[in-house]
Amino acid sequence: MSIGPDHVAPDALVGIPRQRTNAGRWVADGWSAFRDSLRAQGVGLLEDAATRGIFATDAGGTAYGLPHGVVIARSAAQISSLLKAAQTHAVPVTVRGGGLTTEGESVAYGGVLLDMTGMSNVLEIDERALTVRTQAGIFWSALAERLRRQGLDYLSAPLNLTSSVGGTLGVGGIDVNSPHLGCSADQALALQVVTPTGEIVECSDTENATLFQRVILGYGQFGVITEATLRVRRYQPLRMRYFYYASLRAAIADLQMLDAEEASDYSGILTMMDKAITLLVAFDSDEKEARFERAFLSRLHGAGEFAFAVRTAIFYALRPWRWREALYLYRRKSVLFPEFRRPEFHRGGKMHDRTVVFSRAVWKHWGRRQMVIPDLATSAEKFIEAVERGNEVCRRYFPYYTLYCVGIKLREDHRTHYELSCIPPDARGRAYGCEFEPMLGDAVYSRDTLQSFKNEIYDVGVALGASYYRFGGMMKGYIRRVFGDQLVEHHLTMKRAADPAMILNRDVVF
Amino acid sequence: MSHHDCSGCGLCLLVCPVWHGTRDVRLTPKGRARAIQHGAKREDLAASTAGCTLCGACEPACPEELPLVDMVMELRSGSPFPEAEVRIQGKKKLLLAGRALRAEPDRLARTLALLEGYELAADDGADIVEALEAGTTIADERLAAFLASLALARQVVVAEGLLLRALRRWLADASVRGIGETLLPAISAKLRAGDFYVIASQAFNCDQPRLIGRYDWLRATSGCEMNLDLQRIAMPVAGQARWILEGRRVERIVVEDLAERAAFDFAGKPVLHLAELA
Ligand SMILES: Cc1cc2nc3c(=O)[nH]c(=O)nc-3n(C[C@H](O)[C@H](O)[C@H](O)COP(=O)(O)OP(=O)(O)OC[C@H]3O[C@@H](n4cnc5c(N)ncnc54)[C@H](O)[C@@H]3O)c2cc1C
Ligand code: SF4
Ligand code: SF4
Repeated sequence: MSIGPDHVAPDALVGIPRQRTNAGRWVADGWSAFRDSLRAQGVGLLEDAATRGIFATDAGGTAYGLPHGVVIARSAAQISSLLKAAQTHAVPVTVRGGGLTTEGESVAYGGVLLDMTGMSNVLEIDERALTVRTQAGIFWSALAERLRRQGLDYLSAPLNLTSSVGGTLGVGGIDVNSPHLGCSADQALALQVVTPTGEIVECSDTENATLFQRVILGYGQFGVITEATLRVRRYQPLRMRYFYYASLRAAIADLQMLDAEEASDYSGILTMMDKAITLLVAFDSDEKEARFERAFLSRLHGAGEFAFAVRTAIFYALRPWRWREALYLYRRKSVLFPEFRRPEFHRGGKMHDRTVVFSRAVWKHWGRRQMVIPDLATSAEKFIEAVERGNEVCRRYFPYYTLYCVGIKLREDHRTHYELSCIPPDARGRAYGCEFEPMLGDAVYSRDTLQSFKNEIYDVGVALGASYYRFGGMMKGYIRRVFGDQLVEHHLTMKRAADPAMILNRDVVF
Repeated sequence: MSHHDCSGCGLCLLVCPVWHGTRDVRLTPKGRARAIQHGAKREDLAASTAGCTLCGACEPACPEELPLVDMVMELRSGSPFPEAEVRIQGKKKLLLAGRALRAEPDRLARTLALLEGYELAADDGADIVEALEAGTTIADERLAAFLASLALARQVVVAEGLLLRALRRWLADASVRGIGETLLPAISAKLRAGDFYVIASQAFNCDQPRLIGRYDWLRATSGCEMNLDLQRIAMPVAGQARWILEGRRVERIVVEDLAERAAFDFAGKPVLHLAELA
C-alpha cells in the first residue's frame, strides 16, 4: 500500500529548513504481521475504507491522511496490547480525541488511528474532595453534563464542546476563566497513562512525576492518557457583561488590568476584525460583580452597546466606500448577539451552561469544513505588540476575520510541565494567547495562501520569542525556530528513550 | 443540504443514543457524513443507518442545520422523503393513538378523556410509520388515502413521534402536536419535586425551538427533573435510560410516550404515563 502526498515534507514550508527525525515515510512494512498479532490478542482493527475515511482529516480540514486501520479505544489493557505490537512491528499509532486540531496533529498518515472517544465514562465523582476521575476520551461537555447532576462543574475547558479531556490535557485547554483558573492541563491531579512501550502507569506531581510532566502539554508524545483525575468546583451560573472598543490596544490594556486585579471571574476579547472589539467580562457571584462596579468599571475605556453602535454608524457614514465592511459588521452582529443571549440559557439575568452557549456560537458562526486558526502566545508585556502585528497580517490576507484573546494564569510549580509547550518560556504569572481566525465563508483559498498566512503569523512569534498553541503537525517546521535546537534535542532524546520505534504520534512534533 | 455540508464538529454525538450506547462514531451522523465525504457509498453505511433510532436528537444540535433524520431515512430507502400536500377542509379534532397507546385501552381512554373534543382516528397510519422506519416504499394511493382521512381535521394530536414529524410537513395548514405538549396544561399541577419527567424525544426534537420554553416552564413551576438536561441543544432519549438517571434521586418517573416506559423498569420506581397523572 502506498501513502499519499506528504503535507509535512521538508519543502512544505517555503524557505524554512526542517530537520527530519523519521528517516522516511512509513510504507506499511510489517502491516500484516502487526494485524495478525492484534487479532491474536483480540484487539479489534477496522480496515474498511468507510471507517478509515471518517478520520481522514481533523477540524482544520486542510491536512488529509488515511490510517491503514482504526482501533476504537476500550480499555488501558487493549491500548497496551496495541502499543506493544506497534513497537514490535514499528507501526505508527496516531491518537485522536475530539480531533479538533487544525494542523493535522490528529490525522494519521498511515498506520493505526486510535479513537479515544471509545473510552468516555465518568468513573468516580468525589463531592467532598471536589475531584472527578474520568476516562480520558470523554468530551468536556459530557463530563459537564454528568457533573451538573451533583451541582458541580469542571474548572476550565475549550469552548467547543467536543474536545476530549485527554486531547486537551495534551495541548492546553483555554477557557474564558483561564486568566483566573489557568488552563485545563494545569487542573489534572493524576493520570493513568499507557506509555509508548505499553506499560500502564499512574502518574502525578508526586508519583512518576517525570512522566506526568512530559504527558501534560506533551502533544501525545510520551503516552496515551487513558484516565484523568481532575479538580472540579461548584456549579455557578454567571452574569455576563460586554464592553465595546474600536482600538485593540485599549481593549487589551483593559483586559490585562482586569486580570491583574482579579476583577472578574471570566474575561476575554472577541473581535470582528479590528473594528468591533468586544471585551467580555463575567462573574460567578454578585459580590464579585459589585466589587467590579465599585472599583473597576469607571476605569474601563469601552463603550456600551448603544453608544458603540452610534459611533460605528458615524464612522461608516463618513466613509461610504467601506459600506461592504459596515454591512458585514451589521449582519454579523445581527446573528451573533441573539446567539449569545438565547433565552433558554438565561434565567434571572444569569447565563447557564456557558460552554453550550459559547460552543454552539463557535461552531455555528466560526466553524467550517476548513478552518485555519494560527495563534500567538506571549508574556503579558509582549502581547499587545503580538496582537497588533498579527492583526496586520490578517488584514493583508482576508477581508473578514476574528481575533480571540485570553489570559492564562500560570503555576510556578508547573514550570517543568510548560517546557516545549504553548506556554511561552518568558511568561510569569500570566501568559496571553491570541487566535487569528479568518472568516473563510464560501470563498475558496488555496492551501498555499492559507499556509503563507499561518507562516506570517508564526514569523511574528519567532521575532517576539513567543510560543503557539498549535505548533505541531503542519506547523512543526517552526518548533526548532522558536524553541531552539537544544531544548528540542533534549526532548527528542527523551522521546527516543520512551518510544524506541518512534511510533506514537510520530509526525506531530519531532 | 447534504452530508458534504457537515463540518465534523461532532455535536450530534453528544445527544445521540446510539453513540452513548456504543461510543462508536461510525454509527452517528458525523460518522456517516465523514465517511460519505471520503467516498463511502450507501451500502457501506447500511449497518450505521439501520442502527439509528430516528429519535431526531441530532437535528437541533447540528449547527449546520442538516436534516439528519431525513438523511438517514433517505439512506435507508434510497429515495427522498415522500412529499405530499393536503388541503384541510374540516374542523375535526383527531387523536392518532399509535401502536403503544392502542395496546393499552385504559390509558387510551384516559388520554381521550383529557383531550376534550377529540375523536380517535380510525386510521392512525401504523403501516406508514413502519414504512418510514424501515425505509420501505409507501404506495402513493395508500399515502393519499391516509392523508385524505385527516383532511377533515384542523387539530391533530399524534402519539407516534415519527408520524408527528411527517404530518407537520404533510398537513402544513393544520395544528399537529404531540400528546405531551397537548396534555401539559392538564397535568402540570400534578408533577412535583422528585418526579422525573421523560419528554418524548421525536416530538420534542422536531420542534425544539418552540417547545424548549414550555418544558423549562414546566420544570420551574413543578420542581420536577427531566431529560432536558444541561445541553438543551437536544434531548437525551429513553434509550439512554440508565445514563439519564445516573446520579439523580428520583421517586417517580413519568413518560410521555408509553413505548418508552419499559426502558425505565430497571430503576425500581413507579413509571407512569402522563395521562395517569390527571
Ligand atoms: C472550533 C474550535 C474551537 C476551539 N476552541 C478552543 C478553545 O476555546 N480553547 C482551547 O484551548 N482550544 C480550542 N480549540 C482547540 C482544540 O480544542 C484543542 O486542540 C483540543 O483541546 C484538543 O482536544 P481534542 O480532544 O480534540 O484533541 P485531538 O485533536 O484529538 O488531539 C490533540 C492532540 O493530542 C493527542 N491526543 C488526543 N487524545 C489523546 C490522549 N488521550 N492521550 C494522548 N494524546 C492524545 C493527539 O494525537 C493530538 O496530537 C478549538 C478548536 C476548534 C476547531
Ligand atoms: S436520529 Fe437519534 S439515533 Fe439517529 S443519529 Fe440522530 S441522534 Fe442518533
Ligand atoms: S452536528 Fe451536524 S455538522 Fe456537526 S458533525 Fe454532526 S452532522 Fe456534522
